[in-house]
Amino acid sequence: MELFFLSIINGLIQGGFFALFAVGLVLIFGVMGVVNFAHGELVMVGAYTIWLVHAQHGVAYIPTLILAILVVTGVGLLMERFLFRPTRNDPLAGLICSIGVLFILQVIATLVGGEGPSKQVPPPFHGTLVLFEFLRIPYQRLFGLGISVLALATLWYFLTRTRLGWALRAVALDREAAALQGINITRISVIAIGVGAALAGLAGGLMAPLTNINPHMGHNVIITAFIVTIVGGVGSLSGAVYAAVLYALFHTFVTVYFGGTVATICGLILMVVVLIVRPTGIMGVRVSE
Amino acid sequence: MKENWPKIVGFLLLLAAVLAVPHFLQFHHQDLLIFLVINVLVVTSYRLVTLTGEWSLIHAVMMGVGGYTATLLFRGFELGMWFTLPLAGLVAAAIAALLCFPLFRMTQFYFLIGSFAAGEAIRLCWIEFIIPFGGTGGLSGVEPPFVFDIDFLEPIPYYYLTLAIVGLCLLILYRIENSRIGLTLHSVHWKAPLAESVGVDTWRYRALAFIVGSFFVGVAGGLKVHYLGTINPNQFGIGFMVFILIWVIVGGYNRFYGPILGVVVLTLFDESIRQFEEFRPAIYGAVLILSILFLPKGLESIPARLRSWAGGGSDREKGKLTDG
Amino acid sequence: MDNPILEIDSVTKRFGGLTALNEVNFSVKAGEIRGLIGPNGAGKSTMFKNIAGFYTPTSGDIRYQGRSISGLKPHSIAEMGIVRTFQETTLFQELTVFENVLVGCHKHARINLFAAIFGLDRARQTAAAQKVEEVLEFMGLADRRHQLAAELPLGSQRALAIAIALASEPKLMLMDEPFAGMNPEETNHMMDLTRRVQESGITIVLVEHDMKAVMGLCGYLTVLNFGQLLAEGTPEEVRNDKRVIDAYLGGAA
Repeated sequence: MELFFLSIINGLIQGGFFALFAVGLVLIFGVMGVVNFAHGELVMVGAYTIWLVHAQHGVAYIPTLILAILVVTGVGLLMERFLFRPTRNDPLAGLICSIGVLFILQVIATLVGGEGPSKQVPPPFHGTLVLFEFLRIPYQRLFGLGISVLALATLWYFLTRTRLGWALRAVALDREAAALQGINITRISVIAIGVGAALAGLAGGLMAPLTNINPHMGHNVIITAFIVTIVGGVGSLSGAVYAAVLYALFHTFVTVYFGGTVATICGLILMVVVLIVRPTGIMGVRVSE
Repeated sequence: MKENWPKIVGFLLLLAAVLAVPHFLQFHHQDLLIFLVINVLVVTSYRLVTLTGEWSLIHAVMMGVGGYTATLLFRGFELGMWFTLPLAGLVAAAIAALLCFPLFRMTQFYFLIGSFAAGEAIRLCWIEFIIPFGGTGGLSGVEPPFVFDIDFLEPIPYYYLTLAIVGLCLLILYRIENSRIGLTLHSVHWKAPLAESVGVDTWRYRALAFIVGSFFVGVAGGLKVHYLGTINPNQFGIGFMVFILIWVIVGGYNRFYGPILGVVVLTLFDESIRQFEEFRPAIYGAVLILSILFLPKGLESIPARLRSWAGGGSDREKGKLTDG
Repeated sequence: MDNPILEIDSVTKRFGGLTALNEVNFSVKAGEIRGLIGPNGAGKSTMFKNIAGFYTPTSGDIRYQGRSISGLKPHSIAEMGIVRTFQETTLFQELTVFENVLVGCHKHARINLFAAIFGLDRARQTAAAQKVEEVLEFMGLADRRHQLAAELPLGSQRALAIAIALASEPKLMLMDEPFAGMNPEETNHMMDLTRRVQESGITIVLVEHDMKAVMGLCGYLTVLNFGQLLAEGTPEEVRNDKRVIDAYLGGAA
């Protein structure tokens, strides 16, 4: 019983993290048409920032978290300016450039952190919230969940209630029509990748105290993000959020009872099944030709 | 016939160089040479898959399917390499044929991600199911053949054997590409609706390219494991897949010899940056980005570019990876 | 001549809430050039895509030589002898004129893998090459056979598009705006070519906005408006039909 409730809570917390980076991936793909293979590495850079600045140099956690967001946003903006903008008419070229970035970021992380075992960041928040005898949630996890929900709510507000958000969604729906309406595509692209990268940095920063940090941690992140994106429906932000939570619960439970590798295999098979049965995902809109 | 003379002479010179080269190398380099020849088959078979315009991310895993097939057949049934190699290809082709049904319902981005997912699922099975695949540590004990007192465990004999097998495979791939089938694959790539409207079953041709490409990369996997003796899931991960992409893209995928050029040049380049071991992935990443930005048609386009600078001729191929 | 080659039987096509075609009926006689006209958005291209198998009708039936073809895949329909040309200059731009038409011979010249590897099947490939030469000669493209499709002038590109279609030896050709963007001289040349295609025994359905070409070529016209059949008749009848005039003026206003 205890394990069951704990798994639900952990699944929800994981779901929050999954949603943060999957939504960013969807945003970048929707607006720019580029699959950012280096998205997992953006999360990794966020986590490394926490490890380096907070754990190694003793700067307080919250300011470091903000720094992590800024650093990753900076990396994202550089990618946009020097890689995605020149290859704008060729989505596959953008994807391949992002694979190049993936390698470079991994090497930089190795140089900064050195080889050797994964890094750990001691949780900055201590203590546990005891809801019931069988339900105890460490404050660190609660903080992660709260911030994820807050960030997603802010994003939702931005996309649905502001002019800029409307413009962003218009570009994602139909880039040419949006351009004809006078929307500045380059500016919107910059915003999309900026927001996407910031969310990835936030996810990395929030996950840092709860996970093993190493240069290759982005691999699992990108696989998860792909599964969530496809299951949720490519181009559907709300679909990605739902799929992130559902997949996180699913993954947590299968991991608890069958192990992590089986969980990932199941996830990948699920994704292929969704691609076959409903290529537009659970929330995707079928676009008429 | 007369104008073919330079080509024939060039081919003979190349052949002589390829045959002579292992005798001038140290043991370690002879090893690398064998893997280079195997990788030539990997990239050439990948090119066949990309001819229809679909960039699959499962090719590395298909090589692993061939490798594991050869390993299991060798260890389980003591089959020699003459049997394991074709069977390695056939099993890879069969799995590719099964995967066609889900994967070719998708195109472009979806196909890319779908093929990645399918490949990753297969690879994770090798990790998860320790019997028979040996888990993360993989399997070992595979040996090359031993015929007429020739010990193919030695690099030079195995090199010649590999060269002969890969040469045969390349010849077949070349003939397919330059036949009517190659023309049809090309038509499926650039204008699928037009091809369909004159009766081309685009699904079948996509599947055909994928299955045949998987067959040959399966053979390459068998060749590799028989020389290396060991196999594990990490040899065929996304890392190796990315190397295949880099070789093909840096070499240029518009012509048959482009990817071969890419794998040869980058392997030489790789040797020259050995002292920067920890930077290697980053250097590759940079090479990939620079070639996409500044040489989108790859190394093979350099002569044509020089010619067009000199004469102002027209460019034949498009520089784009995807169509519209 | 009484048996129609193509019958459109109350075909409806919906996209979500939008009805692109609504209960359209008409039939095409073997050997004629039929014009399918109407203002923009009337559903002409949608109709073509339904016939050629790129769409499946939401309801209704399409029969070709008495057999139902709705729901078949485009390549199967092409196999049966219906070929479609495209609105834009849809060609294999990076292939030569000769290779373009060779792709068109797919139905008759396809080979299997082993024949390709071992170089069997020479006879069939030679026959295909001959067929290509014939078609190029017929369309007046023989001099350009080694040029890249991308390098041809507009008129020749359209001729090549028809040549590709002809190479598949169709019985029914669906031509989608072959005259768009042409100057009068090119239009006249294209009209000659279209007539010659018809004279070789191929039935043609033509979607076109160029009224001079439509009136000059077609014996009978079918007019669509907002996805519905508006009128049918000879060019003379249609030209004087008040509903048609209103539809076009309404569309222009």
